[in-house]
Amino acid sequence: MRWFPRIHLAALWLLSTVVSASSAELPSADLPIEQVIDQLAQQRLEAEKVTAAPQADDANLVRRLMLDVAGRIPTSDEAKQYVANPSAAKRAELVDRLLASPDFIWHQRNELDRMLLPNKPNDGEFRKYLLWAVKENRSWEAMFRDMLVGDEADENRKPALTFIKSRARELDDMLNDTAILFFGVNVTCAKCHDHPLTPEWKQHHYFGMASFFSRTYVTKKNLLAERPFGEVKFKSKRKDDTKGEQTAKFEFLTGAVIDEPAVERSADDIKKIEETIKAAMQKDDAPPPEKPAFSPREKLVEVALRAEDNRFFARNIVNRIWDRFFGRGLVHPVDQLHAANAPSHPELLEWLTRDMVAHGYDLKRLIRGIVLSQAYSRSSEWATGALPPDPALFAVAKVKPLTPRQYALALLIARQSPDQWPSLDKPEEWVVRREQLENGSNGYASFFEMPGENFQVAVDEALLFSNSKRIEDELLRDLKTEIVGYLKSLPDNAAVIEAAYQTICSRPPRDEERAAIDGYFQSHSADRVAAIRQVVWALLTGPEMRFSY
Amino acid sequence: MTLSRRGFLNGAALGTACTFASDMTRLDLLRQSSWADEVKKQGKRVILLWLAGGASQLETFDPKPGRPTGGPYRAIPTSATGVHISELLPKMAARIQQTTAIVRSLNTKNADHGGGATIMETGRIKDPGIEYPDLGAICAKELGRLDSAVPDYVSMYTSTEGRRKGTSGFLGSRYAPMFLSESMQPENIRRLESVSDLDHQDRLALRDLLAKKFTQNRHSDSLGSHTQAYQRVRGLMASEKLFDIEQESAEMRAKYGPTQFGQQCLIARRLVEAGVPFVKVARAWWDSHGENFETHRELCADLDHSMSVLLDDLKDRGLLEHTLVLTFGEFGRTPGINASLGRDHFAAAWSATLSGCGVRGGACYGKTDEDGHKVADGEVGAGDLFATILSALGVDPRKEYMVGARPIPLSDFGAKPIKDVLI
Repeated sequence: MRWFPRIHLAALWLLSTVVSASSAELPSADLPIEQVIDQLAQQRLEAEKVTAAPQADDANLVRRLMLDVAGRIPTSDEAKQYVANPSAAKRAELVDRLLASPDFIWHQRNELDRMLLPNKPNDGEFRKYLLWAVKENRSWEAMFRDMLVGDEADENRKPALTFIKSRARELDDMLNDTAILFFGVNVTCAKCHDHPLTPEWKQHHYFGMASFFSRTYVTKKNLLAERPFGEVKFKSKRKDDTKGEQTAKFEFLTGAVIDEPAVERSADDIKKIEETIKAAMQKDDAPPPEKPAFSPREKLVEVALRAEDNRFFARNIVNRIWDRFFGRGLVHPVDQLHAANAPSHPELLEWLTRDMVAHGYDLKRLIRGIVLSQAYSRSSEWATGALPPDPALFAVAKVKPLTPRQYALALLIARQSPDQWPSLDKPEEWVVRREQLENGSNGYASFFEMPGENFQVAVDEALLFSNSKRIEDELLRDLKTEIVGYLKSLPDNAAVIEAAYQTICSRPPRDEERAAIDGYFQSHSADRVAAIRQVVWALLTGPEMRFSY
Repeated sequence: MTLSRRGFLNGAALGTACTFASDMTRLDLLRQSSWADEVKKQGKRVILLWLAGGASQLETFDPKPGRPTGGPYRAIPTSATGVHISELLPKMAARIQQTTAIVRSLNTKNADHGGGATIMETGRIKDPGIEYPDLGAICAKELGRLDSAVPDYVSMYTSTEGRRKGTSGFLGSRYAPMFLSESMQPENIRRLESVSDLDHQDRLALRDLLAKKFTQNRHSDSLGSHTQAYQRVRGLMASEKLFDIEQESAEMRAKYGPTQFGQQCLIARRLVEAGVPFVKVARAWWDSHGENFETHRELCADLDHSMSVLLDDLKDRGLLEHTLVLTFGEFGRTPGINASLGRDHFAAAWSATLSGCGVRGGACYGKTDEDGHKVADGEVGAGDLFATILSALGVDPRKEYMVGARPIPLSDFGAKPIKDVLI
């Protein structure tokens, strides 16, 4: 063990159990999710005397919903049809249609992939597992179990173990990534600095968590295995320490301790077991090691999910899903679920957490509730002239950079001639097209950076769009089936401008945009195709394409 | 103003066009002698000569002549009294006192190519849960200008190195290196012939105009970085000629010589002269598990020549006191010589050099034991070296970045600058 970290003690609000947390004051569990979100978000806005931004218009909303739920921009027809639909129920209808569509499955897969294996993008087997799990609408609880304990004998679930296998070389990677991604706690944060506001987490908490992973290893044949014995020892770094070397207990973040049943082993037994393990790690033909009677990882999953200890697991996933849609967690940053970093809306987090547990960790249910809320559908414009209010109020929608995959799909959809898509009443054709799009987007997706906190667009990206042959050849081709060729076939500039905006930006142009582009066409009239290319380029490279807004 | 001669957007395009024009004017100043003064005022620069694969300290800056570990080469005196270096570096030996400090007591603890490189690139051990920026990204942020018309971190390839691109970590892509992966020219810096220069400018101006309405009432730093990235395009394209050594006189090119490393050093000088804060030139491949002495005879000759020409050239232009030239790689090499006459990976006692800006020339810090197995005096780690580098540049190594709720100092927690090598 390289260092001796001290970790923040998850303080009072975290120590309270999910159900007991002033549940009497929470809104009724029977209310629709979106209604509770709006009620509690509004309460906070009123308390702060802030008026939220107005709701986004339909064209804006359909684009945002498609990007967030389907992972792509709408086609020209999809956007037009949504805006033209007079039904009051159209939003819920769209959301339900999307959540049931292959679009959602691909997108949800991609989002979970980038969250869970950020350093190993496009691991084929793991992505196959995620696709299967999302298709089954597998609960988050079951997925957690698949990834941490898993089953090497089950074809569908086996690749989930890549989560641990890819980190098994380093105890710290297993421990920290599990803590960050499933429990929302970054245990490295107090490695060197004491937090001025939070009581410290004692060393034995860190090593307690480490002990759940310390016996894990991967065999030569890439099977995940655990030793039947082995302890984590640590020493306090404090000068006044009198305890000396201590043995870590199997201790979860909540302080819950798991006792390992004592097993008597002779020195011979131990030697034999050590030899079997050594062989398994070194030889391809060694028999798979026997599963130990006591599996620390199994115990970790068990304790993390049981009612009295599940608050880390449940809150974390609620907070992460919220963060994905709002661009900011109810607890922000998402790996800092600790006392000095209280949630912006404590009751809302509690209510959503309770709902998550009560409905079997159904991620789709939470997503549906979020995207139907008014808090989600606010405009991203803050036009008052004053600076926007505290982002923790969610008073105005956040402009979110697209993921590489979303941007790649958006470019591929925008480049297509709008008359090339399957008709909207033939969803089965869209299934095939979507898979083609997904596969076709791999190349472009590899050009862009995965957005993280404080994301910046690299100048390389602007240079790529400005000067690469690939962009010129693939996005700006004068082909009938693609946008430049299609626009060229239109009778006049006005029609070109309308169609370009509708196809690329999912909305009609505004007057000043019509005027600007019309002016451009007039001053570049010598070569109409070249001028169309330039206009398409200017829209494809614009911020409206690069961000979800 | 010729850029908007068609006047398609009239006043609207004017602002953008002015930006382009002024950027290019600034670059044109390169040809004028006053540019060096300008750079002085603006700030400090770094050229990292990255010895990829791990150069032997015994055949470079910490020779052990006559010892069982010493190998066949002699040590020679340098212009700094009492400081000897390998005879493979005669030109540098003549320049130590004037320009260069040697640190002989690095113990960086990781002798694995990947792990060692990460430590020497970022100045710390990899931490799970956080992506640290490398030295280039830190310098780009600390020494560069947000709206710089030139790149602020350029990293040059070598044909044999493992193509380590460098990383801006939590500082974000704004500080990612412009990486020259395949040729001496950066990718996508030159306009396609199918797009005329005027159209190239016009469509960019149209893009900016159409984007303005969108960005006006939306408050987001990421959005701002997108605008900025496109605003920097024309300026960066104008810097294309910085990468073209044909712009230099035949005499100057001859001085640097025909090797790729020499030519890249010349480009590095052109870049820092134009205001690029950080340039990494990698020279490979020092990983001499076999035939260590042959390998070093060849590579040291290139290093010795290129580095001394570079230092002389920087000095002649008045740039050296503002430019820090560094040499190190992922680690050094074992004092023990293996059966293939090679030396293996070794991180326990090896050397780095600092020259120029902020550095006490002729300083020789730290000692290894008689045979070079261990640090005998003044042990320092990668963090200390980074703290020293930043201090030499006038940057406070204890300054902190906030990453979420975590304060992260520029150089690793507890790292201390080596005062003895600083002015």
